[in-house]
Amino acid sequence: MSFDRPKELLKPVRRRFIYLSFAVAILIDLLPLPIDTVLWMPDFIALLILYWVINQPRRVSVGTAFTLGIIADVAATGMFGQHALAYSITSYLVLLRQRQLIMFNLGQQTLAVLALMLANQVIMVATRMATGSAFVGWWYFLPPVTGAILWPLLTKLLLLPYRSHKV
Amino acid sequence: MDFANNPSFIRQGLSPGARLAICVVMSIGLLIGDSQYGLMEYTRQGMSVLFYPLQRAINYPVVAARQIDDFLTTQSELQAENETLRRQQMVLISRLQRLEAVDSEYQSLRTLNQLKSQRNDSASLAEILYSGRDPFSYKIIIDKGQDTRLQPGQPVVDDRGLIGQITRVQPLTAEVTLITDKSLMVPVMIQRTGLRAILYGYGGGIEARYLPIHADVRPGDLLLTSGIDGVYPEGVPVAFVTRVERNADSAFVRVTTLPTAGVQKGRFVLVLKEKTGVPARPADPPLPPQKGKNKNTDDSTE
Repeated sequence: MSFDRPKELLKPVRRRFIYLSFAVAILIDLLPLPIDTVLWMPDFIALLILYWVINQPRRVSVGTAFTLGIIADVAATGMFGQHALAYSITSYLVLLRQRQLIMFNLGQQTLAVLALMLANQVIMVATRMATGSAFVGWWYFLPPVTGAILWPLLTKLLLLPYRSHKV
Repeated sequence: MDFANNPSFIRQGLSPGARLAICVVMSIGLLIGDSQYGLMEYTRQGMSVLFYPLQRAINYPVVAARQIDDFLTTQSELQAENETLRRQQMVLISRLQRLEAVDSEYQSLRTLNQLKSQRNDSASLAEILYSGRDPFSYKIIIDKGQDTRLQPGQPVVDDRGLIGQITRVQPLTAEVTLITDKSLMVPVMIQRTGLRAILYGYGGGIEARYLPIHADVRPGDLLLTSGIDGVYPEGVPVAFVTRVERNADSAFVRVTTLPTAGVQKGRFVLVLKEKTGVPARPADPPLPPQKGKNKNTDDSTE
């Protein structure tokens, strides 16, 4: 079984499913976790935005990313516009190369996702430092790595409901 | 049906570049509005009301697990705990008796000297809902808010010392900025010597800045709130001095400290009343010809 998704025949993705996946990601973001988990917990909202922009660019694009960024800002009690800025820029970067990204196999995609998640963190660090915060430390760039490691799993998981085996 | 590789000659609305431009401009506007003017306060309040049931719902399994855990403690554990608590209570009672004597003496001395008593010990207990995921700001959210008439500025402590200050009050929750946040400063004094200083959070820790090089500070010194700011009551433990560095090239001594309170731990916190009966600050005198010479003994409020 190859990893190249375009060879598979998939059922069309329902809008409801996209919303549901984002809702779950926001719930995970709101979970009352011990403070140490921040050190490695990947940003699931960002991961899902990347997934849906790569796979459904007509439905999820810069505007959706921006809206979800605002929600993430409120959930994180951070600064307004920080996540929104990062998510909209990275989703634009995805849109620029979406035709290539969709043809990549999972390994290549994982590397691309790692780079995009790192870009996310860099933008957020830059905005916070521009508004006067101190640099938090290099561990801040660890969550993108765990996020990228989870990427193949996430891809498989989100494809499960759309494999047309039952038909 | 939408497929990923649909040809793009179907009209798709704005181009991605234009959308990005709009979103970037909007988020930079939001960033400036939030950092400079705090314009988003009301939006955040409204959104936090929407989020509150969600937070409670998500908290529910965690709370339930804790309750089950509490229920299933063994008898021996309970007995051991009971014993330590009893011992602690004995110690505390003996200390309290001494304290009551001292306190009445103190009150009579204060009235003799016509000083206003400023200590009022009313406080409300709150539970920590969650700590913010934002690693740049050291904040926690507690489960009391406008419903229990909390005010921004009230100090928050735990059983071992000062944790922080309430900075935002939402209808059902409140945001506590921890003393390790870079925006918080606490006027303190060294318990051993009474020397006053100001503790600055720097994001992840606190340090006492602007103590002169010859200041009498030693590792192990306890720093208490000095109560000269009109916010924190006097005598709340804040931090221990862990290291003192005296470099000849600097006019100030470098003091590294460790908070006494479990700033990032614990479930319950105590919200204290703000200091009352603080007389209004006297009007500033006309500018003196020379600038003030001693910085750290300056009594001005933060």
